[in-house]
Amino acid sequence: MLFSVPGIINGRFIGFLLDIAMAALVYYYIKTRKMVHIRRVPGLDAIEEAVGRSAEMGKPVICSYGIGGFTYWTLAGLSILSHVAHLTAKTGSRLIVPTGGGDQSLIVRPVAEEIVKTAYTMEGVEDQYNPDDLPFYSGQQYAYIGGYVGVMQRVRPGSVIMTGSHASEAMNIAETSNAVGAITITSGSYISNVAALACASDYILIGEEAPAAGAYLSEDPAQRASIRVQDLFKWLAIAVMVLGIAARSLGNDLMLRLLST
Amino acid sequence: MAKDNGGILKWMAEYDRRYVYLALFLVMVGPLLRPIGMPISVSPDTRQYYQVLQQVQPGDKVFFTLNTEFSGYNEIQSGIIATMRLLVEKNARVAFGVAHVEATVIPELIVKAVQAEMTANDYQYGRDYIILGYIFPNEAAVAAGAQDFHSVVTQDWLGRPIAGTFLDEIDDWEDWDLIADFTTGIATSYLINHYALRGTPMIMNCIGVMIASEKPYLDSGILLALLQSMRGGAELEFLIGHPGPGLTAMDGFSFGHYALIIFILIGNVGYFGYTRQQQMKISKEAK
Amino acid sequence: MAEILKNRQLQIIVMMLSFLFVFLPYFLNVPQLNTASTKLITITSIVTAFTIALAVIAQFRRGMNIINRRSRGWYFKAYMLVTLVLMLGFSLISRETGPYHWVMFAVVNPLSSVNYGILAFYMASTAARAFRARNTKALMLLLSGFVVLIYQAPLTGAYFTGFEPIALYLGSTFAMAAGRMFLISVTVGAIVFGVRVILGNEPSVLGISKEEQ
Repeated sequence: MLFSVPGIINGRFIGFLLDIAMAALVYYYIKTRKMVHIRRVPGLDAIEEAVGRSAEMGKPVICSYGIGGFTYWTLAGLSILSHVAHLTAKTGSRLIVPTGGGDQSLIVRPVAEEIVKTAYTMEGVEDQYNPDDLPFYSGQQYAYIGGYVGVMQRVRPGSVIMTGSHASEAMNIAETSNAVGAITITSGSYISNVAALACASDYILIGEEAPAAGAYLSEDPAQRASIRVQDLFKWLAIAVMVLGIAARSLGNDLMLRLLST
Repeated sequence: MAKDNGGILKWMAEYDRRYVYLALFLVMVGPLLRPIGMPISVSPDTRQYYQVLQQVQPGDKVFFTLNTEFSGYNEIQSGIIATMRLLVEKNARVAFGVAHVEATVIPELIVKAVQAEMTANDYQYGRDYIILGYIFPNEAAVAAGAQDFHSVVTQDWLGRPIAGTFLDEIDDWEDWDLIADFTTGIATSYLINHYALRGTPMIMNCIGVMIASEKPYLDSGILLALLQSMRGGAELEFLIGHPGPGLTAMDGFSFGHYALIIFILIGNVGYFGYTRQQQMKISKEAK
Repeated sequence: MAEILKNRQLQIIVMMLSFLFVFLPYFLNVPQLNTASTKLITITSIVTAFTIALAVIAQFRRGMNIINRRSRGWYFKAYMLVTLVLMLGFSLISRETGPYHWVMFAVVNPLSSVNYGILAFYMASTAARAFRARNTKALMLLLSGFVVLIYQAPLTGAYFTGFEPIALYLGSTFAMAAGRMFLISVTVGAIVFGVRVILGNEPSVLGISKEEQ
């Protein structure tokens, strides 16, 4: 520890400072309502290609947004779901959205229903919206897998787009999707999943690519501001790492003590 | 021998996945039905885990957290039972807490498995061990328990008050001598955030896919030790000299890995012998 | 009263205060704040637990709706509701012995374990399918995969000790770096997301749709 700050618990000052800095930057970007530029994530092209292919083959599209509650990943999944719903409404493909899988999934479900319904309404094909195509497959993860895999085996989709927060069921879904011959696009929200999904999927959005894709699609200044602030702090983390490695290599533990303050 | 158009090579490049399933099933179930007893090696991480448990003192208060469903329990039960065995031999005081509804009956499975050792060490419910049940439904519960344990937990899993048990000595995170977390990832990050990062010593036994994500915590010292999946549990059983479900499964475990390597090799032979040739043929014809 | 509680500004103020009550005690050593924070967190954990009850009620209503309409697969919904009621009843009878115990060990455990066990086969078929040395990068992946797979088999270490240093090196450098990268990304993302929620820029978290804004 380099120094202690009166009133703040030892070892937590830098963390506190970083949190305040992040909050201030997000607030600044949101208040300026500047539309921050984010490059188009390549995975979005894959999604559009997949939906187009499904439309050509006359097969449905399955798109899920995760099993968690309102987390960072689920919101990214919902943004992508909105985009896919718009695409399927335009192309006339059937969209199936399996929901459930977690305790919090019931809270997110009405939002997903609203998103899909709004997308169909905005494309002028409200009559094509079928609430039965958003089945709820239990709040239990493995029961959800059973339903999800079952619907894939029965309807034989042209593409399966699995974004958001998925745990161990991701592997089941990706492999079954591959087995039924669908284009599989997934996002790995856990490091544990990324390796397996990279092998099983035709295309994977790794880590931050899914929220970045969600921010790009939503055109929401707040979401884009978040992505920009995250990028800034990642650059800061890289700078700290480089400085720390250099300092330690020279036998100096200044960075270590600073971060422990 | 390859037929024209590469018969066997074509099969090797495009074999049905069900052959993989069948082969894996046979090589894993066979040794379970007829154990061979092949030797195993012990990894440095397991030795570290064992060393941490050896440092547990009589009377230490250990929070035995089961962040797993039944499915995950089947993978890490060897580590769970071996750890409990060691803790009982050390005369530690153990409080079981679970983070999933399916895990509520697991503590009694553990107690049954180490009943002989508990009887030999005169373990009494309430004085030496207690089963608290499903006390981690969400992060708020973990956080509240870390700050004021008795505000969150007032009864054990059968509704009996915990007043008068060894938990009277627990107020907050500082009072636990060790947290032994057995996890498939449910509430582990909450325990790390609210206990380990505040300084409570913590060890973990996780499933295989979580190892990469938990290793940074081990490397940075937040976790004292990490037991890796069923293999780590088997190694721990070997170290404590008490074979169990882990060691039983290691023959099949090894053969399963080798079978997978063989299938990968077959696929690559087929890829170079058939698929690649077809791709080159097609590109030549296109020119 | 309902209209007051639905007020978005009020909801955001409550969220902000709740956040401060939990955030500040972690950094500032103020005993009164600690006590208030613990009380609030305890209340929150109880309220969150009630969402399980809400989920059960919602499932019932939805299930009865589907059964009444005789929609496709309504009998599965009927089966689900019957088992829900049965398990509720069983848990009230006894938790130590009896039907609850039997269902957990004879039904839930095997079903849960099978779904989990199937993952091993899926992972194996995926690996067997995906690990092809198509180019240099794929070859490097294949070789490192081989080393790690061979090392993971406990029998290997007993006879060939040469794999251990390489496998441990791969795990403690590349795999660790990827793990740390993910941790940093996810942590920063979660903090930034939390800030957006507190500032009221995520109406969906409050159950407000974009049209209602």
